[in-house]
Amino acid sequence: MTLTVNGQEQELHGICNVSELVSHYRLQDKLVVVEIDGKVIERENWEETQLRDGMTIELVHFVGGG
Amino acid sequence: MNDRPLVIDGVELKSRLFLGTGRFKNAQVQNEAIAQSGTEVLTFAIRRVNLDEPNQDSILQHLDLKKFRFLPNTSGAKTADEAVRIARLARASGISNWIKVEICVNEKTLLPDPIETLKATEQLVKEGFVVLPYTSDDPMLWKRLEEAGAAAVMPGASPIGTGLGLLNPYNLSLIVEDANVPVIVDAGIGSAKDVVEAMEIGVDGILLNTAVAEAKDPVKMAQAMKYAVEAGRLSYLAGRIEKRRYAKPSSTPTGKITN
Repeated sequence: MTLTVNGQEQELHGICNVSELVSHYRLQDKLVVVEIDGKVIERENWEETQLRDGMTIELVHFVGGG
Repeated sequence: MNDRPLVIDGVELKSRLFLGTGRFKNAQVQNEAIAQSGTEVLTFAIRRVNLDEPNQDSILQHLDLKKFRFLPNTSGAKTADEAVRIARLARASGISNWIKVEICVNEKTLLPDPIETLKATEQLVKEGFVVLPYTSDDPMLWKRLEEAGAAAVMPGASPIGTGLGLLNPYNLSLIVEDANVPVIVDAGIGSAKDVVEAMEIGVDGILLNTAVAEAKDPVKMAQAMKYAVEAGRLSYLAGRIEKRRYAKPSSTPTGKITN
């Protein structure tokens, strides 16, 4: 499956849902927010949200800013 | 100090200083500066996680989340739609429904786009956000933002990160005079003197970042800003003397032994 994650094309295998994707990048314990094709996916829906080829995904977090 | 507290979204804030978290040289200096500033409101930006280094520090890792109110910004947005998108991401973190709308197009001046800011404010208020828009210091614009439901208005003193201080104290005083929501001066503060000047005009609070983060000693400057906010507020409440063109002796003129 090919996904665009944070602007980079990623070829990923054996990952079906958002929870697994977040774990793949070792972010499961971090305060990250997930957006798929422009829509926020709330944390409680990560498990049930299936990934499909061609999706555009953003994994974001808080950084320093004024 | 006998003063009403600053209230935003029903939250009473003891400190009138909001602090940004950008540009500190390390987490230790930042946290010490935050502590010394006495602030209760911290701002942040939302960015992509670096997938090559997912363990890179997130700013929140080093902070006691219970002690602060979080005011994420929409920096990076160039349109109202982009700001709304970033705001939704910020809220989905679950730590805050407050949002600082910040929409800048010109990279050189970082001056805000007032029209897009108004549009974003209208939309985000409809979606239930507590919206604190940052934009230029135009009094009419601020009325419109207030009418749109902004929880506070945040006029800039001068462009972000310039340290040029208050470029238009007259406009700022008009905004203060008419505002029905708190006025927070945001951006352009250079030193404690600028903070006192703004507070003496009667603004309700100050948001600053670079002036502390890039000071030679950020921790000391954070402390200076805390005192400046308090001094400026006290001075405003006390009421300053009129400016006079000519001198008026402070020693009594009666009983002088000379002619």
